[in-house]
Amino acid sequence: MNYIFGVIGGQSAGPQPTGAETVQKLCDRVASSTLLEDRRDAVRALKSLSKKYRFEVGTKAMEHLLHILRTDSSDTEILGYALDTLYNIVCNDEEEEPEENHPKQEDDMGVQFTDKFIQEPDNVTLLLTLLEEFDFHVRWPGVKLLTALLKNQCAQAQGIILVSPMGVSRLMDLLADSREVIRNDGLLLLQQLTKGNAAIQKIVAFENAFERLLDIITEEGSSDGGIVVEDCLLLLLNLLKNNSSNQNFFKEGSYIQRMKPWFEVGDDNSGWSAQKVTNLHLMLQLVRVMVSPVNSPGGTSSCQKAMFQCGLLQQLCTILMATGVPADILTETINTVSEVIRGSDVNQDYFASVNAPSNPPRPAIVVLLMSMVNERQPFVLRCAVLYCFQCFLYKNHKGQGEIVSTLLPSTIDANSISAGQLLCGGLFSSDSLSNWCAAVALAHALQDNLTQKEQLLRVQLATSLGKPPVSLLQQCTNILSQGDKLNRRGSRVQTKVGLLMLLCTWICNCPIAVMHFLHNQDNVPFLTGQISENLGEDERLVQGLCALLLGICIYYNDNSLENYTKEKLKQLIEKRIGKENFVEKLGFVTKHELYSRAAQKPQPAFSAPEHMLFDHEFTKLVKELEGVITKAVLKSSEEEKKEEEVKKTIEQHDSIVTQYKELIREQDSQLKEMKEQMASLTLQNETLQNTTTQQLSQIQQHKDQYNILKLKLGKDNQQTASQVDGAHVNGLQLEELSQLREQLEDLHRENQSLQTQLAEKDNVITSLKAEGVPSAEGSTSENTEILRQVEKLKAQLQSQTAEITQLQTERQELIGRCETRATVPVTGEDSGYSEKIAELESRLSTQNTETQKLKEEVKALLEGKESMEKELASATSTVAILQAEKSKLQKEVQDSKKEQDELLMLLADQDQKILSLKKKLEELGETIDDEDDLDTKDQFDDEDDDDEEEDEEDDDE
Amino acid sequence: MAYAYLFKYIIIGDTGVGKSCLLLQFTDKRFQPVHDLTIGVEFGARMITIDGKQIKLQIWDTAGQESFRSITRSYYRGAAGALLVYDITRRDTFNHLTTWLEDARQHSNSNMVIMLIGNKSDLESRREVKKEEGEAFAREHGLIFMETSAKTASNVEEAFINTAKEIYEKIQEGVFDINNEANGIKIGPQHAATNSTMGGSQGGQQPGGGCC
Repeated sequence: MNYIFGVIGGQSAGPQPTGAETVQKLCDRVASSTLLEDRRDAVRALKSLSKKYRFEVGTKAMEHLLHILRTDSSDTEILGYALDTLYNIVCNDEEEEPEENHPKQEDDMGVQFTDKFIQEPDNVTLLLTLLEEFDFHVRWPGVKLLTALLKNQCAQAQGIILVSPMGVSRLMDLLADSREVIRNDGLLLLQQLTKGNAAIQKIVAFENAFERLLDIITEEGSSDGGIVVEDCLLLLLNLLKNNSSNQNFFKEGSYIQRMKPWFEVGDDNSGWSAQKVTNLHLMLQLVRVMVSPVNSPGGTSSCQKAMFQCGLLQQLCTILMATGVPADILTETINTVSEVIRGSDVNQDYFASVNAPSNPPRPAIVVLLMSMVNERQPFVLRCAVLYCFQCFLYKNHKGQGEIVSTLLPSTIDANSISAGQLLCGGLFSSDSLSNWCAAVALAHALQDNLTQKEQLLRVQLATSLGKPPVSLLQQCTNILSQGDKLNRRGSRVQTKVGLLMLLCTWICNCPIAVMHFLHNQDNVPFLTGQISENLGEDERLVQGLCALLLGICIYYNDNSLENYTKEKLKQLIEKRIGKENFVEKLGFVTKHELYSRAAQKPQPAFSAPEHMLFDHEFTKLVKELEGVITKAVLKSSEEEKKEEEVKKTIEQHDSIVTQYKELIREQDSQLKEMKEQMASLTLQNETLQNTTTQQLSQIQQHKDQYNILKLKLGKDNQQTASQVDGAHVNGLQLEELSQLREQLEDLHRENQSLQTQLAEKDNVITSLKAEGVPSAEGSTSENTEILRQVEKLKAQLQSQTAEITQLQTERQELIGRCETRATVPVTGEDSGYSEKIAELESRLSTQNTETQKLKEEVKALLEGKESMEKELASATSTVAILQAEKSKLQKEVQDSKKEQDELLMLLADQDQKILSLKKKLEELGETIDDEDDLDTKDQFDDEDDDDEEEDEEDDDE
Repeated sequence: MAYAYLFKYIIIGDTGVGKSCLLLQFTDKRFQPVHDLTIGVEFGARMITIDGKQIKLQIWDTAGQESFRSITRSYYRGAAGALLVYDITRRDTFNHLTTWLEDARQHSNSNMVIMLIGNKSDLESRREVKKEEGEAFAREHGLIFMETSAKTASNVEEAFINTAKEIYEKIQEGVFDINNEANGIKIGPQHAATNSTMGGSQGGQQPGGGCC
């Protein structure tokens, strides 16, 4: 190197080429040389010139170098030289030339070359691709170059990397590089990359950055680790600061729990190296980032919860109470604890319970307050304690009550130092900073807490022996009014401002406190005096605050003191100060340069003790009151009266309105209930309607079925009983039955007549038999046969009658059933649907089954009837036959009678002939008896033959 | 909290389809009718249980606007699951699915499980895309499909859990290399020892190998 510088850099000799010329030559070589080695040498030479002739190399060689990066990507050596050269051009920190005193120009040069490089976004993409090359000589300068580019033109470079596919992911891979140099420079690269770019921060987090960084921190020994730990922490801060999405990811990833071991620093004072202090400082900041008051309330409170649950808060409180902790760390720990407990009940309660390991043990709050009012403590530490105290009381009514109660006469414990005592001590000490801090601390114990404002009025102080006790309020105003006589270390203004802020906070929104304040005759004249006086620049703020205090006395005045009613105070202002003047003085407060700074964030962070004038919560109060006080003072008394009236009417209206509102609310709730009821009722109604329609349709169906069944039954009945016309189940069957009965009776009658006939015939026959005529012998056999038949008929008739009686009883049953069925009501569907429907359904079903049974019975009956009819028919036919036979028989009987008569006549004739003949014979004297017997025998034989013939004819019939 | 596995999800799809609302409904069980446009990417997380195992879901809800597309692409590679969302009342959001899918397939690891979601199923009267169309698209491209309503919470749990089940099954089958965190899967502290060996031995198996 020295040789080259010696040769090229020597500018004494004229013919020797200038740096610019050499650079040009080298560039030409790079561009034109076909041999890789030549090009490599040229690039190496350029590299060596790039520091001394930075401008020349930058302007002339950049294009060529970029070309090399594109075309010679196979040769890692040349790539390395090219990247080194580019780095030298772009990079600004020239450690080798610290004496040259034009860093600004150099800055410009670096930015210029960066612009030139970035102009073509492809160059950045190319660089990202080269970072995938594993070779150390490529990757390392690549990382450095990209870091330098990001340093010079952060936003632009970030934009290009963000949109190049997988750009960020590739850079994240650097953290996994086994070569520590690259990993560490990768950390620096990522620090630059993530600066102020939420999108990139999120991608880096997505690529498991938290996990890897926490792993590296642990590997490197946490707070005992070196600068790598610091770099990791800085990167983590970049990723989490003001990035709620990443904070949420960090919390959800259970990484808060992994922070806890960081703070397990023993009490041994062995090692508090500068690096360790730095590391711990950053670790504490990391905790604060997660619970910062500027975060979303939900995010902060969930992190606070997690920090308590994993013991992180407890660990921090241990550091708080440990000995030998450097002041810087202690201060930051106090600030961290402050934000971890701010607004979280659980954490505030825990903090109140923490005790210092002293003998006897004192509450940590007391120990801290002791530091706050101790002027020997560092300023930042005292500020931190104040912040801690404020955060402890923030939205913590319980804590406020506890602090105020330590000042109340009933609860004062003389044996131990209490927070209240310390605050009073601070309030009235000879150190203005203590005055201010104690005043603000006490004001925070009263913030938004009317009860404590009233309680604090009870506090009495014993100033010196022999004098009556003075109220705390009075003591404050006394010190204020002592004015220039005050002998204070520090600034008198600071004390006054502190006390005025306390008084304003105290009496604001508390008419009783206002009365207490006005009750002292000296107070109002003092205030008007302060306001009206033409004081110096530094007293202006005091004037403004006095105006504010007087304004509060007017605005929150309940007119209970006759001398100091609103009206009178206003007149006083008009007379002594002038309204305009008053308003102008009031305006001094918000116009103060420190006011807006304090308004920004809750933490009291002041660059110097004399800047400690405004409290954050107090700025909020001023913002709230300035407008209303100005209005109240500017208004004339008449206006005021009018306003008052208006106010009253408004109040009345308000009360009416509130009454109505309540009424409306009630009605609203009633309405809601009603609506709900309505909804449920309509629902019920709907369902009921549905069911009714369903049931109605069912009923209709059943009716139809019923009708169909009826019709069917009717048909069946019509078919079954041919004699019965249009048998409609009920009633008509009666006709049928009566008809049947009549028929049966007819049949009976017939039968009976037949039987009587038969009986007559029998009698005839028997009489004939009895007549004992020889010819009658043939007819007896006939008669016995007829008798048998008649017997059969009789039996048949009997069975038929039995059947008929059965049928009759069955009929009776049927009629009964039909009647019951007929009485079933089918109407009345309007009310009690379901029951009736159920009934109807059951009835229908029973009816259905009954009808089914009836049908079957009817069928059976029909069959019975048919068979009976047949039988009847056959019976009638046999009867007819029998009748015919009878008539024949009767005829025969008559014939035979006639014959018998003729025969009798003949016999009588013959008898007479015989007698005459006998007489003649007797006369003649002869007997002829035998011949007569033979003749009669022949006659009987003839008749038998005839009978046989008749029988044969009967059979034929 | 202790978990057996950690899965990383991304939610993608056109702007206004309800991605952020789906996430909010899943993580906070509430619905926000008016929601700002998502800038870049937002994070959400929840624990679920599958097969008796605690599984932590880390979900990155991406901006649907075209201008953020290059940023959101960075999230594809490291995700194990993706919910691709369209709006059933807006046909165009369904028509853009192909583009989204191509983008996802190109930048993600090949095993990423993609769940297609037709959101706003409560707005039946304004429906422009039939359920069958969504089903068909999913079938055609090998996705799981569901219709959800971030408003009524209908199927929202199921969408996230079913995706996790699919990933879990793929792990069981040895498809995922669970030792590579770039896949969007991390083994929980208590399972690290046992599962790392199992994952190693099964790493080479084909997806179909789990049929025994």
